[in-house]
Amino acid sequence: MSTLTAPRPAASIDARSRLVSAELLKVTSTKMWLGMLIGVVLFIGIGVAASILAPEQPGVTVSHLTTPQGMRNVFAQAGGAYLFAIIIGTLGMTQELRHQTLTSTLLAEPHRNKVMVAKMAAYAIIGAVYGVVGVAFGYALALALLPLKTHADIPWTALWQIAGGSILGCALFAVLGVAVGTLVRNQIAAILGVLVWVLIIESLVVSFLPKIGKWLPGGALNGILQATGTNNNEAYLPVWGASLVLIGWTAVFALAAAATTQRRDVT
Amino acid sequence: MSITSTPPTGGASGASRGETISVASLTKHFGTVVAVDDLSFTVEPGRVTGFLGPNGAGKTTTLRCLLGLVAPTSGTARIGGHSYDAIGHPARVVGAALEATGFHPGRSARNHLRVLARAGGIAEARADETLELVGLTDSAGRSVGGFSLGMRQRLQLAAALLGDPGVLVLDEPANGLDPEGIAWLRSFLRYLASQGRTVLISSHVLSEVEQTVDDVVIIANGRLVRACPLAELTADHSHVVVATPTPQQLADALAEHAPQARVTLTDHGLEVVDADAATVGHIAFGAQVELHELRPAASDLEQVFLSLTGGATS
Repeated sequence: MSTLTAPRPAASIDARSRLVSAELLKVTSTKMWLGMLIGVVLFIGIGVAASILAPEQPGVTVSHLTTPQGMRNVFAQAGGAYLFAIIIGTLGMTQELRHQTLTSTLLAEPHRNKVMVAKMAAYAIIGAVYGVVGVAFGYALALALLPLKTHADIPWTALWQIAGGSILGCALFAVLGVAVGTLVRNQIAAILGVLVWVLIIESLVVSFLPKIGKWLPGGALNGILQATGTNNNEAYLPVWGASLVLIGWTAVFALAAAATTQRRDVT
Repeated sequence: MSITSTPPTGGASGASRGETISVASLTKHFGTVVAVDDLSFTVEPGRVTGFLGPNGAGKTTTLRCLLGLVAPTSGTARIGGHSYDAIGHPARVVGAALEATGFHPGRSARNHLRVLARAGGIAEARADETLELVGLTDSAGRSVGGFSLGMRQRLQLAAALLGDPGVLVLDEPANGLDPEGIAWLRSFLRYLASQGRTVLISSHVLSEVEQTVDDVVIIANGRLVRACPLAELTADHSHVVVATPTPQQLADALAEHAPQARVTLTDHGLEVVDADAATVGHIAFGAQVELHELRPAASDLEQVFLSLTGGATS
């Protein structure tokens, strides 16, 4: 039988990093992150394969594999992990509400801003990891499949920039997900809302109203990756501008989420 | 799964680390509903205090105010003079297990505790130590989704004990425990209080905790009904049982000589409140009433509780 001994103080790590580390342990101690990672691989696998193997569409010149833009578009498929980053971020907050674990979380750290910052930091890390996996797998598949269709030079410089953009984008979308989950609260509503927005509303606006679409989060990600399915020069913002737009969206949602949790009763 | 049947001994981290809990003029409105209404009471270290009231009396809301989860409309709820968020490293000072605190069904018991330890700045080795304290060692690696209600209660208790806190706040801790588990919980809580810790446990059934608590704080409809040592509650509601063939004659004599006494006629005699056995015996002797039985009796505490909280009618 053990005794009620005084707990040894944990190694004196900074309070912030200890909260981030607790949030990461929450994620790795259930299996969902793995399911999401399988989703990343499947989604990017299909995206890359389709963009290389699909027959060329008559009249659409820009996405031909032989053009620099077409080649960029293939590798930009690796950024598809952002969809899973925003979903796991959303679940990261709605699951605490659904399973009522938020009470324990706030008993351990009653300062809600600290909890919110730690959660967003943890999910930024997880989003970035998804981004890295997406890039590694997407690039490997693309490099394996491209010789089947073309022997054009691989734009190596662009690949570095697309990789960095994908990882940054996934990190930001995961944080955006945490904020959306905090604001919507209901898990099913939040996930449905994210999917309908990303896959339907936003992708329609980006495709058919690019002047508006490029200012939306998903359109901004296209700008960061400099990728598009159209041949319209106005389709995306420059990398720096697109990065600022996506950071801005994330910041606005994160601040709104933090503001709503300050005094909300946890019952 | 085995239950440790005796309290842990030795290696105790010392007495008198408990802090006083003080609730002062606490009021909480949810919209138009007044959940807690100008409630004041204190809870002392070294004692087990039962926080009692019917379901919906405002117990959980009061505890959530105390723990910084619900913002009071007015008034304060403090631990050692501090609001919860002003306590540095609260998990090492206060251990709490609240109703409607959940678990991720896919996370193991050990990992649930490791997350809380990490967030609270407590060594993660405490996860296994507290699991052993509550008798869950064999289930440490299992997902909580497969746990029974009793096992979840124990895991909640383990979480509350993680930081070896001087103050324990437990909401309905006996819910879902089998009789063996309740007996174990009782001796465990008594042991913790004997170390000088403050132990506050809520319940909607007085009989569930009457063998555990030293003090009671009873509330109904968000308001304080009674805060006193349990013994006082028992004494105040004691009465004298009298068996006599001529109860009406004795009742008349009591009305004349002891007008403060309240008399109830029963099948075999009467029951007298607010007069002790000596007084009743003396008056009976003076009135030449034949007595077959004369004894002081404690009221059924559950009846006392129900009459205090109005639970018998509502």
